[in-house]
Amino acid sequence: MKVRVKNWSAVAVWRWKVDDDTCGICRMAFDGCCTDCRLPGDECPLVWGQCKHCFHMHCILKWVHSPNANQLCPMCRQEWKF
Amino acid sequence: MFRRKQAPTSAAVSSSSSSGGVNHPAQAIARVKKEYVECQSDEGMKSCNIKLSLVEDSFVKLRGEIPGPLGTPFEGGVFQLLIDIPQNYPFNPPIVKFETKVWHPNVSSQTGVICLDILKDQWAAAMTLRTVMLSIQALMSTPEPDDPQDAVVANQYRSNREEYNRTAKYWTDVYARPGVSEDDVKIKQLMDMGFDEAKCKTALAKAKGNVEQAIEHLFA
Ligand SMILES: [Zn+2]
Ligand SMILES: [Zn+2]
Ligand SMILES: [Zn+2]
Repeated sequence: MKVRVKNWSAVAVWRWKVDDDTCGICRMAFDGCCTDCRLPGDECPLVWGQCKHCFHMHCILKWVHSPNANQLCPMCRQEWKF
Repeated sequence: MFRRKQAPTSAAVSSSSSSGGVNHPAQAIARVKKEYVECQSDEGMKSCNIKLSLVEDSFVKLRGEIPGPLGTPFEGGVFQLLIDIPQNYPFNPPIVKFETKVWHPNVSSQTGVICLDILKDQWAAAMTLRTVMLSIQALMSTPEPDDPQDAVVANQYRSNREEYNRTAKYWTDVYARPGVSEDDVKIKQLMDMGFDEAKCKTALAKAKGNVEQAIEHLFA
């Protein structure tokens, strides 16, 4: 099979500059806890959305309950689903 | 659309500056601190000369500095922004306004209040002060006259682009030149009419800074 490219368009993707190992909301490392908690461990769990973005559960709950959230992921602005 | 969701900031400004962050939860302060440190070492910010500094060391009030983008009437100017951190930051956007007067469809020429979607309903908690400043710089390059903050400026932008460019450039020269005073600009304006510097200075002093009156003195 031969494939001939008839045309193509360049697509640029805007990405937030955020390290994979920090929470985009509180900007604390995932191996520690969020700024509201004192001790790392089970009390400050991590959660992933269907968009694959990860946050401290405490942080993302605060965001989804804030009036600005509109049910969107704070990183990629796709619908946030646990 | 004439949205003014971003409330005039005078109330927020006075309450946060006097309290010095006492009412801000640790989470808000901790995040601003992290952002502040990141900004000081951010190559992207350095390369476009955007600066972030503290007001009163409190991390609830900051000052941003943006150079006017090249190829725009703001080129050559340096624009100061006042940034107020709300108590529930980063769940609410920072309150940002121009401290330097600027002639732009999306900025109030009277109050400096900015009409920018990410400072209102398009805010997301993962955005940062860096994102905000870069977006404001982009807005200076690309005005959005269909979502104006200043109707007079927006109308001029749409109907008479040449005059808009002239006015915006004049405002940049008068208000946004570091180390150049308003009087220097007026004197240059008078000298451009062919008078020598000493005469212009005397005339402007006599006219108490009023350019039109100074011109009358010069021609008298
Ligand atoms: Zn977090
Ligand atoms: Zn936590
Ligand atoms: Zn996402």
